[in-house]
This record gives sequence, C-alpha cells and structure tokens, in this order.
Amino acid sequence: MHLSTRFRRGQRLWLLLLPTLLWIGLLFVLPHIKLFLLSFMDRRSGAFTLANYAAFFNSSLYRNVFVRTTTFSIVTTLLTLFISFPAAFIITKVLGRKMKALALIAIVLPYWVSELIQAFTWMILFRETGVLSYLLQYLGITHHNIEFLYHNSTIVVGLVYTSLLFMTIPIINSLDTLDDSLIEAAYDLGGDFWSTMREIIIPHAAPGIMVGSIMVFMLNLGNYVTVTLLGGKNSLWFTESIYNQFIVRFNQNQGAAFGVILLTFSVLFVWIVLKITKQDLTEAM
Amino acid sequence: MPQEIDVSLVHVTKKFGDLVAVDDVSFEVPKGSFFSILGPSGSGKTTVLRMIAGFETPTSGDIYIGGERVNDVPPNKRRCNMVFQRLALFPMMDVLGNVTFGLRRRGGMSKAEMERLARKALERVGLQGLGRRKINQISGGQQQRVALARSLVLDPTVLLLDEPLGSLDLKLRQDMKLELKHLQARMGTTFVYITHDQTIALAMSDTIAVINRGKIEQIASPEELYRRPATHFVASFVGENNKLEGGRLVRMRDAQVCEVDFGGILMSGRMGEPLSPGDTVDLFIRPEMISLRPGRHENGFPGKIEEINFDGSHSLIVVNLLEGRAPITINVKLQHTEQAPEVAAGDLVTLSWRWDAANAFRSPTGKEA
Repeated sequence: MHLSTRFRRGQRLWLLLLPTLLWIGLLFVLPHIKLFLLSFMDRRSGAFTLANYAAFFNSSLYRNVFVRTTTFSIVTTLLTLFISFPAAFIITKVLGRKMKALALIAIVLPYWVSELIQAFTWMILFRETGVLSYLLQYLGITHHNIEFLYHNSTIVVGLVYTSLLFMTIPIINSLDTLDDSLIEAAYDLGGDFWSTMREIIIPHAAPGIMVGSIMVFMLNLGNYVTVTLLGGKNSLWFTESIYNQFIVRFNQNQGAAFGVILLTFSVLFVWIVLKITKQDLTEAM
Repeated sequence: MPQEIDVSLVHVTKKFGDLVAVDDVSFEVPKGSFFSILGPSGSGKTTVLRMIAGFETPTSGDIYIGGERVNDVPPNKRRCNMVFQRLALFPMMDVLGNVTFGLRRRGGMSKAEMERLARKALERVGLQGLGRRKINQISGGQQQRVALARSLVLDPTVLLLDEPLGSLDLKLRQDMKLELKHLQARMGTTFVYITHDQTIALAMSDTIAVINRGKIEQIASPEELYRRPATHFVASFVGENNKLEGGRLVRMRDAQVCEVDFGGILMSGRMGEPLSPGDTVDLFIRPEMISLRPGRHENGFPGKIEEINFDGSHSLIVVNLLEGRAPITINVKLQHTEQAPEVAAGDLVTLSWRWDAANAFRSPTGKEA
C-alpha cells in the first residue's frame, strides 16, 4: 500500500505498463483500426461502401460457414470442458503430490510441440495409409484402407486436443483454492457426490471454467492450422474464408469485413454468455 | 439405571503406514454430555474425531454411534455432524443456504419448512435476521455460530467439534466458550470437542480424555484430572505445575502417601501411580496450592524470594529453597486477597502444602537430580 502510493506520487508506476501498452497499441489496436477502415472501403475506388458486409449477409455460403464455425467451436468447447473438468478434479483433489506433478507434466508436454507438428502427427495417424487404418486391418476389423481425415469428427477431435491445456490449467487453478474441508463438510452434512459437485465444487470452480471456456472458444473460432490440415479443403472454417479473401483473391476489403464480423461476434458472444451465467469478467479473469 | 451411551470406541487403532496415530483407544461418551479430547498437536486427537465422523476408517476396533456400529457407514449417513477447525462454511451460499444445506440433502420437507427450521437454529445461536448475509459479510464470531447452526439444525446424535474456537481472539474465545457450554446444556446434544487448549477443556467439559502419542492417558472429570492426574504426562500437561525432578522415594507412609528425598529435603506427596521405595520420582506441586508465610516457621520449607511477577489478580512468586544440597526453585501463586502477606524480593519465607497438593510419578528419565 505504502509502496504503491509512493510510486504513484512519483508517477513512475505507469512506466512498467509501457511495453504492454506499446505492444497492444502497435500490434493490436492499430492494425484493427486499419482493418475496420478497410472493411468499409470499395476494393477499387476506396470509397465508403457497405457492400463488403452485404456480401456476407447475402451469401448463404458465408453465413453457413460462419454458423458452422460457431457451432463447432461451441461443441468443441463443451467437449473439452467435459474432458478437462474430471481430469482437473482428479489432479487437484485425488492425486498425491508426486502423481499430481507427473500428471501436470503429461498435460503440458504435448504443447512443447508446435500446433503444426501436432497436426502433422495426427495426419500420419489418420490418413488412408496411416497407423490407425493399418492397425484396423492388422486386427482384421476391416480389409481395406480407411480415410479418417477430412471428416467433421476429425476436426473436432483435433480441436479438442489442442484446447485441453487451456481448459485444464484454469480449472486446476480454481480447484486448487478450494479448501478440502468444504468438500468434507458437504459430505458430513449429508451431501453425496453429485450434490457436492453441483453445489460446492462447480460453483467454486466457475471462474476457472469461464476463463477456460472463453479461451478455448476463441482459440477454436480463430483456429486455422489444425482445421485446415485435418479438415482439408472442405473444412469450411470461417478463418479459411478470411484467408481466401486476403491471399487467394487479393480482396483485402472483403477479408477485413469478415475479420470485423468474426471479432464483433465473438466479443458479443462471450459478453452474452457472461451475462447469462452471471459471471463478472474481472472476477473470472 | 444404566446410562445411555451415544458414542463408544472399542479398542480402536489407526495406522498410517508404519505410523500408529491412534493406539488401542477405548472410551464411552454418555448421552447429553460434553466430552473433550485433550492432547498436544500430533497426539492423534484429530484422527480420533475424523474416525467418529467417518473420514478415516479404523485399522482395527469398532466405533458405535447411538448403539449402532458405524465402521462401514459413510460420513453422509452418520447421525453425527462436525464443526470444522476452519469452519468450512460455503462461501458460494448465504447464511441461510449454509444452514439449510443438510436439510436439503435430507429432503422430504418443503422449502418453507426448511427455512423455518434454519431460522430457528440461527435464532438459537443468536443470529436472527442475518440469514441473507454472505459468509464474508459476517464477523469471525458470527461465522462460528453459523457453523454451529448448520450442524445443529440436523439434530445430530452427536456434534463433533474440531477446535473451532482456536481461530478466535482471546476475548471472543472466552465469550464463545461459555456460550457453547450453555448451548450444549440447553439442547442436551452430546458434544465431542477436541482441543489442545486445556483452559477450554477444563471450563467446558463434563469429562475429559487426555490423549498423548495415540494413547489415552486418563479419562476423568476436569476436577479429578486437575487434582489427581493419573500419569506423569497428565500432571505435566494439564494446568501449571512445579515439577521437581529426580527425587528418591524414601518410604511410604501409607497406601497413598510417599516421602521423597530431594537432595536432603524430604517432601511428602500423593502417589499418582504404584511406586516403591528406591524409585526415582518427579513431584508435581500446584503453584496456587502452596501457602507462603513470611519469616521462618516450623513445619514447612524455608526459602528466599528470588523475584515477584505481578499478574493482576495474583502474583507469581519465585522462591529458592534454602536447605538441601542442590538448588530447588518453586513458583508460588499468591492470590491478592485482603489476607495476602506483604512480601518483597529477598524476603525469607516458609512454604508449605498439603500432601495431596503434590503428585508423585516415576521419572521417565530415571535420573536422580
């Protein structure tokens, strides 16, 4: 308290924030302003136009791709939550100290490998001549090659895998602060597993669940590498549409409009979810 | 008429790996009594309580609650509730939500009925009107009461208390101590209270079990425990005591009284355990049981006042005995009554005490002073 008031009086404290402010300002705010402006410009003349947005809302393809991306992101987020929560619970409340450290390493280790490499390893596993296909034939379950890649379910599996860490760690953090005697007290007062889970453990972990879900949802929505490699050309992910506009069709203005739509929607979506679940963003983060 | 027993432990042992935390413990808690388990930290008292609650299973032996063997009954099915050391209130609920938690689990009751019972329980602990407060909006003392109400509303056969007063400051602890005792008397619920704080145990309990290194040392009323400790440990752990170490038992006057030689000074005392001549013994004398007279007198031990420590209602007077080959220091608690003698450091005084104010036990080290 004392220290910070002295700093504040000297007005040097804000200097510590400067690198972050510069970083955000130069690499996030400025480009996004540019993106925002571009999205309202005509491709040739540069005059103000709403045509780029109209193109999105008038095209059933783009709308469908957008809805599909959102739906898959939500499904993936929920799946990740269902896998991560029990894992986080076991790690924080059941395992001993040594096993807990081992489990944490096991969770983090795969993320030392880049997402790209991860996706490639999955391709080796899942392609027509891949490990899984070979294994099934070896076991005599099928007699011909099976293509596991380029399915919706493959995309989901891949996304869940890349998301697990970002869901598990925040939940572990919030469960770590749950005093074990609270769980014992709930049992002592007649609670069983489910009622204790519902009334004590999940409400306590809610901020961690929120943080994890927001991060995973955003990461999925904006994912490109995993989706494109595992889903192939038919992955129909919205980021792919943006990529195509910018890189394939050289239509920066259309791409910018898509970008703004994606950003606006995801912010709005997170805000609505926070409102519905009565979570405070400052509390959750 | 045989007394009804609410809790009984029969030869209960609990091992954690090689560590024997609780070693062949047996006791019975009569219905409606305030039973304390007193012991230093690490003595196994918490493990005993957790076994009664059902959070630990005995390695061997049986536990009965209300006459029913509960070894295989999980905590949520036992007719006993626990007040936790750190209270373990649910911060995600308000006060009323905490108190109705157990009722909601039990079910078979309307919401209005649950709230009525909860409000009654809150009233009983003096918290009427606070039902809608958040847990972090009430004081530490109020939190204690919520924890009590949360358990008592379930009308348990026995209430287990894991040193819940430990976290309160001294003044509040004194108040809560009396209140808890009155609450227990009023409701007639059996209380099992564990603590390392003997003042709490002595003030509140009908019966105290002193536990050390997993073993029960003595089970007795507070007064019995204080006046007639059964073991060397109880004598040194419960209450203040002068401990005179390494005397030699000279002879027995009768079945109760022995005479002990401390370097030429002969003192008599009550034998706390069977002793025989030649034993090396320690003698425990209560500071407040010693009478101090200015000057030299027959019948007593002459000494010189080393220092006087004023402590409000009494003074602690440190006296060095004059006779004897080795120096012996004895603390005397002098109450500040009208009859209290005026003394100063350096004064010659004579100390005396009744034989039963001193308790003799075999010295655990066996070394003569």
